[in-house]
Amino acid sequence: MIEFHLDARSGVAPYRQLIHQVRQALRLGLLHEGDQLPKVKDVVAGLAINPNTVLKAYRELEYEGLAAARPGIGTFVTGTLDGGPLAAHGPLRHELQRWLGRARRAGLDDESIEALFVSTFRSAAEEDIA
Amino acid sequence: MSAVLETSRLGKRYRRLWALADCTLSIPGGHVVGLVGPNGAGKSTLLNLAVGLLAPTAGTIEVLGSPPAAGPAELARVGYLAQDAPVYAGLSVADHLRLGARLNPGWDAELARDRVERLDLDPHQKAGTLSGGQRAQLALTLAVAKRPELLILDEPVASLDPLARREFLADLMEATAEQELSVVLSSHLVADLERVCDYLIVLVGSRVRVAGPVDELLAAHHLLAGPRRDPATLPDELTVISSSHTDVQTTLLVRASGPVLDPAWTISEVGLEDLVLAYMSQAAAPGRRRRHLEVQK
Amino acid sequence: MTWLTWRQFRAQAVTAAVALGAFAILLATTGPSLASRFAGSRITGCHGGFAGGGCNSAAIAFLNRLAATTVYPAVYALGLVVIIVAPAIIGIFWGAPLIARELETRTFALVWTQGITRTRWLTVKLALTGLAAMAVTEALSLMYAWWAEPIGRAISLGASTSVFTGGRFSPLIFATRGITPLGYAAFAFALGAAVGALIRRALPAMAVTLAIFAAVQIATPLWIRPYLIPPRHTTATFASVQAVDIGTLAATVVPGHPGAWILSSGAVDAAGQPVNLGAVSASCFSQAPSGIKEGPSAPALWQCLQRRHVKAAVTYQPGSRYWPLQGIETGIFLALAVSLAGFFCFWRLGRRRT
Repeated sequence: MIEFHLDARSGVAPYRQLIHQVRQALRLGLLHEGDQLPKVKDVVAGLAINPNTVLKAYRELEYEGLAAARPGIGTFVTGTLDGGPLAAHGPLRHELQRWLGRARRAGLDDESIEALFVSTFRSAAEEDIA
Repeated sequence: MSAVLETSRLGKRYRRLWALADCTLSIPGGHVVGLVGPNGAGKSTLLNLAVGLLAPTAGTIEVLGSPPAAGPAELARVGYLAQDAPVYAGLSVADHLRLGARLNPGWDAELARDRVERLDLDPHQKAGTLSGGQRAQLALTLAVAKRPELLILDEPVASLDPLARREFLADLMEATAEQELSVVLSSHLVADLERVCDYLIVLVGSRVRVAGPVDELLAAHHLLAGPRRDPATLPDELTVISSSHTDVQTTLLVRASGPVLDPAWTISEVGLEDLVLAYMSQAAAPGRRRRHLEVQK
Repeated sequence: MTWLTWRQFRAQAVTAAVALGAFAILLATTGPSLASRFAGSRITGCHGGFAGGGCNSAAIAFLNRLAATTVYPAVYALGLVVIIVAPAIIGIFWGAPLIARELETRTFALVWTQGITRTRWLTVKLALTGLAAMAVTEALSLMYAWWAEPIGRAISLGASTSVFTGGRFSPLIFATRGITPLGYAAFAFALGAAVGALIRRALPAMAVTLAIFAAVQIATPLWIRPYLIPPRHTTATFASVQAVDIGTLAATVVPGHPGAWILSSGAVDAAGQPVNLGAVSASCFSQAPSGIKEGPSAPALWQCLQRRHVKAAVTYQPGSRYWPLQGIETGIFLALAVSLAGFFCFWRLGRRRT
């Protein structure tokens, strides 16, 4: 069973954060098809947020075809994301590990590596849009 | 969902002072409603009217379709947690549960016992020796175990430390989810309500200033920054809530019924706290210095 | 609600039970010996009124022997105090905090939002606690009446000492026997509850309740009780009214009405007009033979007054009115109690004010 967390300062609406975390869990292989998502009352008990927020997130996941509600029992994962779970991308992960090793040997610290990655990622994403 | 609380021009006067005036609300069920406003704004008065501890001086109020506390059946449908969670200091925790069982026809004894166990409360401890957070939890147990449809809480976390505050709200949300409750809770701090409320009522100076679902309110309010301009020249669809001017720049918090199309403005989103503060300053005496609004990223 | 009333009342109930128990033990240990002393005196064959000099002197002897002990006067006095004070204590400690404390500690916000109406809450609390108040006070009174019966009989035969004094119409005795304690307890309790509902704070309510109750208890025997039933008037010779005190010449019996309660005693002339008794007695004195060291005796004074056609004018309640007066006074206090409870408690707790 996955556990949700909330970043109150991120500016992203709470229900979006929950959806994002479910999708991340699917990618990382923490959630598989048929697994139950945490019960609404357990989520709100852990995060002290409005139950409607969780319901909204689960409804959106249902709409995207990733989950389905079984009344009286709970909400269950029904779909997978395009591209399959991250575990399937062994070669990509391997390449990334090698790149990280090279970045460290070049003298970059953690913050610099992250900044380099994020800025490159963002500019590449913008080029894709444009 | 039908309205859980409906008022029409509700007012309450003490001697010559109107503690609440001209209050018209229709609060839908299935929400956690936050009632926010400064101290003395009339929040407690409104909630006391809702549970039948006060009678209106003017106007009408209906809770779950009936006058408040009209009889035992109506009393059973509404749970109430008063300010500072009053309990009987000389009675033990178990005595309070017995009180709940004897005075409430729909009492769920198992739920009450489970909660007390989970909260680690000693059944034999006198309620007067409990901490503030424990008292609030005991009072919440009493309100929740009678299996109401609507829960009304008057500043439930005002005197609690941050940890107790978080635990209480988490607990409240769990009960809300489990029992499908409608909740109305008041606070003079927006931060308390931001996480848990999806419907907001702002009460300032004994009057309701704004009321509605939180996401609708946030979508309808914008922060406009642009060259210095007289607010009176704005189109009618924009209602200025608060404004601030320098010699070259004007910053306005507006409520818009449609999209803002004027390219002269830089438009930003408004956070809940700034929205409430804007309405509070709007209600303040004219001539007071306007608070400089922070821009929400 | 019954359980909650009991649970909140538990401490006071225990105190009352302990006090009742202690009082009962005190009376039980001294009562039988008092009864056997009474059986051994020669009063047992006598009945009310001065049934001959033998009864009177036997009664006097009995009381004097009792007064010489320490136990019996102490228990007698203690009993009177306990029963006089019990309603006041009930009013202060049971009545005043009943509503005031709920308002003061704001627990009303908890208990009035449970599943019962305010009316039911108040009705049960007032009724159960009020009944307990009446029961406790009346129990004290009945126990004490059983214990003090011998003394009461001796007093009714004309005997009295400093402690054992007062017929059944005297203020202390009237208030501690019969059914009046019921009325006082109910009134004090309802008064306390009503004052508490008005003032909303327990300690001031206790003080105000005590003040009002004390004032009522002082005023009642002085100005109210004598006139509950219109008193009777009669004139008679000073001899027949046994005005044994030369200074006041107050009547001590009403001829033909043994055991009457004398409210006032004056003098009238042959025409029925009030007479200044002091002046007339003085003129009787001045005609006393000179050289006699003591003043004229009472019988001589009576004869003198009779020669001048001055009669005693007595206002009184006949002894047969004892139970009617008890009933009327108790009824008034019970009615007051119900009105206080109804008006102040139920009305005051209406939703216009909190």
